Amino acid sequence: MGDARILAAEPVVPSFRRDVMPVFFRAGCNAGTCHGSARGKDGFMLSLFGYDPRGDYERVVNEMVGRRVNTAVPSQSLLLLKATGAVSHTGGKLFGRESEYYRTLLSWIEASAPDDVGQVPSTVEVSLSTNRLLFETQGKPVELKVTARASDGTSRDVTKLARFFSNNESVAKIDADGRVTAVGSGDTHVFARFSRFTVGAEVIVLPPEKGFVWPNPPAINYIDTLVFDRLQKLRIAPSKLCDDETFLRRVTLDLVARPPTVAEYRAFMSDTRSNKRTLKIDALLADDAFADYWAALWAEQLRVIGGNYAPVATHVKAADAFYQWIRRQMRLNRPLNEFVAEMVDASGSNLTNGPANLYTMLVHKPQFEPKAFAADFSQLFLGVQIQCAECHNHPFDRWTQDDYYGFVSFFTGMKRKPGVEPRERRIYYDMSAAPAKHVVDGRPMPAKVLGAIDPVPGGGDPRTALAQWLTAPENAMFSRNLANRIWAQLMGRGVIEPVDDVRATNPPVNEPLLDALSHHLVDSRFHLRSLVREICNSRVYQLSAKPNASNRGDTRQFSHAHLRRLRADVLLDSVVTVTGVPRRFSGFPDGTRAIEYYPRESGDTEGPHFGEPFFATFGRSSRATVCASETKREPTLSQTLHMAVGDTVRERLGQSGELKKRLDAKLKPDAMIEELYILVLARKPSADEVAYLRALVGKDENDAGAYEDIFWSLLNSTEFGFNH
Amino acid sequence: MSRRQAIQAGVFGALGLSLGDVLRLEARAQSPGTQAFNAAAGTRGKQARALSVIQLHLGGGVPQQESFDPKPEAPVEYRGSFSVTKTKHGDVFSENFPHTAAIADKVTIVRSMVGRIPDHGQATYHLFTGYTPTAVIDYPQMGAVVSHELGGRGELPPYIAIPNNNSFAGSTGFLSSTYGAFELGADPGQPGFKVRDFSIPDGVSSKRFDRRRTARQIVEKKIRDLEADPTTLDTMDDFYKRAYTLLTSPKAQAAFTLNGETEETMQLYGRDVVGLRGPDNKFHPKGLAERLIMARRLVEAGTRFVTVTYGEWDSHVDTRKSCLDQMPALDAAIAGLVTDLDRRGLLDTTLFWVTTEFGRTPKVNGTSGRDHWARCYSMLLAGGGFARGLIYGASDSTAAEPARDAVPLEHLLFTIYHQLGIDADKELVAFGTRPIEIVKDGKLVKGLLA
Repeated sequence: MGDARILAAEPVVPSFRRDVMPVFFRAGCNAGTCHGSARGKDGFMLSLFGYDPRGDYERVVNEMVGRRVNTAVPSQSLLLLKATGAVSHTGGKLFGRESEYYRTLLSWIEASAPDDVGQVPSTVEVSLSTNRLLFETQGKPVELKVTARASDGTSRDVTKLARFFSNNESVAKIDADGRVTAVGSGDTHVFARFSRFTVGAEVIVLPPEKGFVWPNPPAINYIDTLVFDRLQKLRIAPSKLCDDETFLRRVTLDLVARPPTVAEYRAFMSDTRSNKRTLKIDALLADDAFADYWAALWAEQLRVIGGNYAPVATHVKAADAFYQWIRRQMRLNRPLNEFVAEMVDASGSNLTNGPANLYTMLVHKPQFEPKAFAADFSQLFLGVQIQCAECHNHPFDRWTQDDYYGFVSFFTGMKRKPGVEPRERRIYYDMSAAPAKHVVDGRPMPAKVLGAIDPVPGGGDPRTALAQWLTAPENAMFSRNLANRIWAQLMGRGVIEPVDDVRATNPPVNEPLLDALSHHLVDSRFHLRSLVREICNSRVYQLSAKPNASNRGDTRQFSHAHLRRLRADVLLDSVVTVTGVPRRFSGFPDGTRAIEYYPRESGDTEGPHFGEPFFATFGRSSRATVCASETKREPTLSQTLHMAVGDTVRERLGQSGELKKRLDAKLKPDAMIEELYILVLARKPSADEVAYLRALVGKDENDAGAYEDIFWSLLNSTEFGFNH
Repeated sequence: MSRRQAIQAGVFGALGLSLGDVLRLEARAQSPGTQAFNAAAGTRGKQARALSVIQLHLGGGVPQQESFDPKPEAPVEYRGSFSVTKTKHGDVFSENFPHTAAIADKVTIVRSMVGRIPDHGQATYHLFTGYTPTAVIDYPQMGAVVSHELGGRGELPPYIAIPNNNSFAGSTGFLSSTYGAFELGADPGQPGFKVRDFSIPDGVSSKRFDRRRTARQIVEKKIRDLEADPTTLDTMDDFYKRAYTLLTSPKAQAAFTLNGETEETMQLYGRDVVGLRGPDNKFHPKGLAERLIMARRLVEAGTRFVTVTYGEWDSHVDTRKSCLDQMPALDAAIAGLVTDLDRRGLLDTTLFWVTTEFGRTPKVNGTSGRDHWARCYSMLLAGGGFARGLIYGASDSTAAEPARDAVPLEHLLFTIYHQLGIDADKELVAFGTRPIEIVKDGKLVKGLLA
C-alpha cells in the first residue's frame, strides 16, 4: 500500500465496511423499520445499523448468489435495482444512478464485491463542525459538517454518509444534508449519526428581543445562578417569588408528604423572622416523616412487594425486612452511595438481611434472571436503559453489545438456595458460574463496568468491584442520576426527563445545573438532606406558578412552578390529614400512612400489584417494572368520581374529625369559611370567596350540611389535588 | 365547531334535540353523500361500518382445538378429549360450543390468527395495543385510540372496561389519560352489583349536590386566575362536568344497571348456565351473561368501545376440566349476545369480537394440559360489517400453523379500525414530536368483510 503512484493510477475498490455499509446506513436500508428489523423485510435482513458486518456481507453477497449482488452484470444487481427504484421496492427509490452512493455500490460490485481482508480501520470518533447554534427568530440556515476519525488516525468528511435528526422539530429542523433551519423559539438538540456514534449540537432559537426585559432576580445559591443564566440566554423571564402560604404548602407536601396543619400554618404565617423559610425547611428535614417518605420512594423503585407464596423468595417477611432496612437507612441519614453499595454487594438470608432482597425484588421472577436484572439495575442506579444493546448496539447512545453482555456478567453467578424454613432463600454468588455470551459470536464476556475496556479482575464475587465503581465519587453517571431524580421529585421534572432515560440523544436541558447538583451531592458525601435543603432554599424552587408573557410556554427550563398532581399515596395522606379521620390498611398497624403502604399479596408477586384499589385508581406505581412512568400523574374520570362520591371523602366529611370539631365550636359563617380554607388549602380565602360561599350557607348559620358541602368542594378542588 | 364540541356545548340541547336525534343525525352522517358532515366527525372521510365494538377478552390463552378449530382427524394426543358439533353452515366446532354452532351463520371465525410471543404479558399488550412492549414507548390501547379518534356518542364515556382494565393490557400509553377506559370497578355478574362511585350519596339531596358543584366553581376561580397549566385545569373541569352528567342523568344512570332486562333476555344469554362444581361442591353461574348484557346496554347508550373480561384460560394442567367448567357459559353468552344484537338491529353497527392473547400447543402435554402457542389460533367476530357465516383461513392438520390465509394480529386490528372509519396508517404524535402509526405494517383483510 506504500506506493502512491499505483494507488492513484488504479481506482480504489470500495471497502465493504468502510464504504458500502455506510451507504446502507445513510439510505436507511439497515434501519429498524426496513431490512434492519429482527425479521428483515421482504425476505432480506441486515443487522440493525450494521452491528454485524460479517453477517451482513453473507446476506448481501452469498445468501442468494447472483441476485442481490450480480458480479457478472453488476448493474443488474438487485441491490442497485431496488435502491434506485428500477424494480418495485417496498422502501421506494432511495437514490439515483447519478449519485455517489450508486457509484460506490457499483464499483464495489464491479470489483467482484470483495469482503474486506484483514483489519479495516474502524471509526473511533465522530464530531460536528459546531456543538452550539444560536438563531435569532429569522436566522439563515446553517450547514453542519460531520467528521469521522478512524482507528488508523485518518479523518474524513462523512456529512454525506451521516443521518440527521432533531429532538424537537417545532424548534429547529435538520434536513438530510445536515442543514439546520430555525422554526420556533425554544431550545433543542440536533444530532448526526454515523457508525455507532451519535453526536449532537445544541440549538437555541430566540424569541424576538423586542419587549423582553431581564428582571435580574437575585440569586440565593448556585442553582439560581445557573437556571437564571440559562433563562436569560433563552430570553425567558422567571416568575415572581411565591407567597408564604404557597411556599409553606408546597414545601410541606414535598418534604413530609402532607399539607400543613392549621397550627403549622398559623405559626409560620405569624413568624416574622426573615429566614423563616430556611428554618421551615430545616424543621421539615428533621422530621421522621421526611425519612419515611424517601423510604417509600425507594421502596417503590426497588419494587418492594410481599407475597405469600414461599418458593419465590418474596414473602411478606422478606419484604418487611427490606422495607425496614431501607427506612432505617433513611432515618439514619445514611449516605446514598453507601446505601446503594450495601444492597449491590449483599448476600445472605432474604428474611434477615434486608438489602439482599435487591436480588429477590428488583425483578420478581421465580428464578434470578441476570439479563432482566442488569437492565433494571442500570435503569434504576444509572438512569441508563442498556437493554437495547441486548440485540444490537444501542441505536441512540454509546452502549454497545460488549458493554451490555459484560454488564450482565456481574450477575450471572447470582443464585438462591433454600434456607432453614420454607420462606427463606439464601442469596449468594456462585463463583463457578460462566459469564454471559455475546449474542452475535458467542464469545464469553467477563464482567466489565459500562464504558470500560477491560473486565474487572476475575476470581471472586465481581459485585464488590461493581459496587465500588458504581458508587465511587468519580462515577458521574451515578451521582448525576441520583441528583436528577432528587431534583425531579421536588421540581416535578428532571433536568433530564424522563429521569430513567439518560442517553446521548436525550441531553440535560441545563447541563451546568445537572453538573452542579451532582457535584453538590458528591461534595456532601451523598447526603440526601443536604441536596434537598439546597434545592428548597433556591429561589427557583420558590417561584410562583403564575406565568408571565415570556415564560408562559416554558415547560422545561424551570422558569415557573407547575401544577403537579399529588401522588396517590400523598393525596390519600392529605385527605386523612385534613379531615382528621384515619384510614386503615389491612395487614398494617393502625396509624400506618399511605406512603408507608406497600402491596402485600396472597400469592406470588410477579406482575402489577397495587394493593388497595385507591392506589390503582389514582395511579400509584404497580411496581411491575422499575420505569419511572409506572407512577401516573394524569387525572382520570374514575378519580373524579371517587373524590366526588366515593368513600374516601364521603366517609370523612362531617361525622367526625376536623370538620366536626369546628361545627361543634359553632363558629360564625365567615370565620368558619376561613377556617376551612386554612385547614384544606393552607391559605386564607379572599373577601370574594367568603362572600360567595357565605351566600350558599343560607339562613341557618349552623347548617352542618352547608359546611359539609363547602368542605367537599375544597377537597374536590384542583388546588387541593395538586401541588402548585 | 365540530359535532363533538357542539354536543359538549349543549347546542343540541338548546335546539331541542334529544340524544336519540343526535344519534340518528350521526347515523345519517355515516351514510354516503354526507361527506362534509362525516369529515367534521373526525373520521377523515372514511366510511364507518361499525359504530361500536364489544371486545370479550378471554385471558390466559383459549385452546383453538377445544373451541372453533377442532381436529377430529388428528391423533388423540393432538385432538384432545372432546368431540365436535356440526355448525349451522355445515362446518364443525368443538362440542363445547353447540349454541354458537347454531348461530354460526351470523358470525365470522378466523382460524389462522398469527401472534408473536407466547408470553401472557407481552401477548396481551400486543393484542390490546397492536405493539409488543418496549422500554421506550408505551403504546395506547385500541379503545383509547378509538376514544381519541372518534370521541363519544352521547353522555357516556367512549371507552369502558367491565369490570376492569386487564392489568397486562397497557393503558393510554402516550395519549392523555382522558382517553382511558372508564372501569366499572364492579362485576355486573355479582349479586348487589353497583358501579363503583357512581351514585350521589344517600342523604345528599340533588339541591345539595348542586350546591357542592357551585361551591367548587367558586373555589376553582383562584387557581384559574393563576393562569398556570390551563390544559390541566380544562381536563379537571371536563372530568367534573362528565362526572356530574353521569351522576345526575337518569339515562346514563340507567345504562349502567340491568334494570328492565327481561327474564327471557337473561335466559337467552345463559344467566343460569353453570360449569363444574366449585370448591364448595356447589354449582355457580359465571356472571358472563350479565356482563355482556351490560356491554350491550352501554353500546346502545353510545359507548364506542367496551371490553369485557371472562375466565382464567391458562390451562397447563387438565385442559378438559377448564373447558367443561368455563365453556358452557361462554357458549351461551356468545350466542345470546349475537342473537340479541341481531334482533335489535344492532349487529350491523356493532362489532362483537372474542379475543384471547394466543392459542395453545397442538400436542397435549404430560399433565393433560396444553401450553402457550402464538403461531396459530382462532378468534370469533360478529357484525360490524364482517362477513356473516364465514370461516376464514385454516390451520394445518394439528392446528399448529396456518395452512392458508394467515392473519397476523396487526392485519386484523387494521381491519377493525377500518370498519370503525379509522385509517390505522395514520400517525399519532407521541411526546409532542414523535409520529407513531396507529398500527404498524397493518393491512386490510378484505376477505373478512361482507
